[in-house]
Amino acid sequence: MNQALLKLISSSLLCFSKLLSPLRSSLLSCRVDVAPLPSPVAAIGKTSHAEVKEGMVGLSEGEKEFIKGGIAQDLRTDGRKRYTYRPIYIETGVIPQANGSARVRLGATDVIASVKAELGKPSALQPDKGKVAIFVDCSPTAEPTFEVNFGSSPFQVYDFVDSGPLQVKAYLLCTQGRGGEELSAELSGTLQRCLLGSKSGAGAGIDLSSLVIVEGKVCWDLYIDGLVLSSDGNLLDALGAAIKAALSNTGIPSVHVAAEASNDEQPEVDISDEEFLQFDTSGVPVIVTLTKVGKYYIVDATSEEESQMSSAVSISINRQGHICGMTKRGGFGIDPSVILDMISVANFVSRQLIDKLDSEISAAEADEDES
Amino acid sequence: MEYVSPEGLRLDGRRPTEMRQLRAEIGAVSKADGSAVFEMGNTKVIAAVYGPREVQNRSQQINDQALVRCEYSMANFSTGDRVRKPKGDRRSIEISLVIRQTMEACIMTHLMPRSQIDIFVQVLQADGVSSYSCVSLSCSLPLIDHPHFMNYPKNNQSCGGMEGADYVNRTRSACINAATLALADAGIPMHDLATSCSAGYLNSTPLLDLNYIEDSAGGADVTVGILPTLDKVTLLQMDAKLPTNIFEDVMQLATEGCKAIANYIREVLVENTKQLEYRRGS
Repeated sequence: MNQALLKLISSSLLCFSKLLSPLRSSLLSCRVDVAPLPSPVAAIGKTSHAEVKEGMVGLSEGEKEFIKGGIAQDLRTDGRKRYTYRPIYIETGVIPQANGSARVRLGATDVIASVKAELGKPSALQPDKGKVAIFVDCSPTAEPTFEVNFGSSPFQVYDFVDSGPLQVKAYLLCTQGRGGEELSAELSGTLQRCLLGSKSGAGAGIDLSSLVIVEGKVCWDLYIDGLVLSSDGNLLDALGAAIKAALSNTGIPSVHVAAEASNDEQPEVDISDEEFLQFDTSGVPVIVTLTKVGKYYIVDATSEEESQMSSAVSISINRQGHICGMTKRGGFGIDPSVILDMISVANFVSRQLIDKLDSEISAAEADEDES
Repeated sequence: MEYVSPEGLRLDGRRPTEMRQLRAEIGAVSKADGSAVFEMGNTKVIAAVYGPREVQNRSQQINDQALVRCEYSMANFSTGDRVRKPKGDRRSIEISLVIRQTMEACIMTHLMPRSQIDIFVQVLQADGVSSYSCVSLSCSLPLIDHPHFMNYPKNNQSCGGMEGADYVNRTRSACINAATLALADAGIPMHDLATSCSAGYLNSTPLLDLNYIEDSAGGADVTVGILPTLDKVTLLQMDAKLPTNIFEDVMQLATEGCKAIANYIREVLVENTKQLEYRRGS
């Protein structure tokens, strides 16, 4: 009975959503009563007065079909093929106050990554390794919904995703009103997983033991901050590329340990302001996100294409073709065989991407040296 | 401490009435309706404008004018010492309000009733601990890339403690200038180009556009925002104290600074329009 009611409401939602927004909000509370999903219900229930907002990307039915049809025929709306990236522009050394920084532009997506190194103490569990942390912030300049005080309630239903044949509407909930914090947290977490490997530091893109100055006593803590300035889809790949570029732009001051201190004292260190050590960034993986739209999947989706996705798999791959991390987003299931297929595609695409990034990064560094 | 040398030069080599280097660029955020980057010395700010568009929250709709909203945020890496602040702290809210009020005064809000204009300001870089790179900047040397490690804060602490919040205050002029440029880029009707500049008073000399060291010296700091062609003051903030006659001089200097910035912004806009015209091929 629930299923039938759901179906009815979903189809009427579809018909009226564009015309009658008040009706839509009343239907929404209706949906709350019958919905079997526990967590969104709680959220919607709490804020049943929440204003229902149009989807992030306002697309008509025709436009949606156009995007899907284009992907099916391997000719996307901007003329790309399914496995082609948009042109990538990299600029390094954009933040003079950081040890290393880079700005990456991928179509209208624009991100900055900065690396700051601070002296710290290695953790007791890994005395021979430095620490690295990644944080991502979404600037409201990118999307007005990243604003802190957006809307009146903390929870808003912001998009309806059509699951296709099942004709069930899924509600994506976003904790808006807190500056895109959820998206920031998701991006930070994924980047940590994809670039830094496991908690023990094994499988990290950079050699963490090179950050240690005195074992168990002093090490460099690297803080990697990402900032999304403008968002037009595929933030993860752009941020991954920006971090890779920022790391290769990073110079860590060389440190001389002044005197051998006794066991329980902190040794005195002398930080050089002339000599800098460069990282070996050849092991830093790139992230390739494959977005599944309909039956096919694409790389480097724009936000219009992302609005039509059923799920997306982000795979980080290094130069050797090893998978360093993986994340799946989106609420819809994928067949396991499709995932394996995606991995081989990602492997193929990543090789071109790594070559492209390396040449862009060295060009950017040459530019920076000149100016 | 001597802030103005006997030869009449300031710590970073500027003359008392000289501004830090200005740089502006239009269209930094391609998805926004209007956007701009504005740099004043080491301070670098991006502003993006969305609108006029439908009011998102109906209860805030104003029937005879546009709703202007503003949000200010600072990037984690914008300051010398890396501090992760929660979004929407009191300082940010205050400066958002200041920017909003200044911009609201120059936007012709009555032409766009029942609509909303959003101004987002993002600080990429705040003049701070790396004050010594300021010296190199005005000598047109490349910026020192790693000021963070050079233990500068130590000698700065003697001339006024440095709180994270002070960064916020130092960026407000650049924020307002960036917002003006972004609004102009978005094609939003305005009475005038609101611009802002600060001036201070140290070693019995009025100084234009204080840098980090001068600002933390504890002297008076007057920030003025004006509508240059209408010759109206829209923003006036001052801390510390000054005799009235000196205040007049300092404010006059800041006003002159605003006018110079307005001229620069106008030049940038004209240049941008020429570029657009050229690209259209007419």
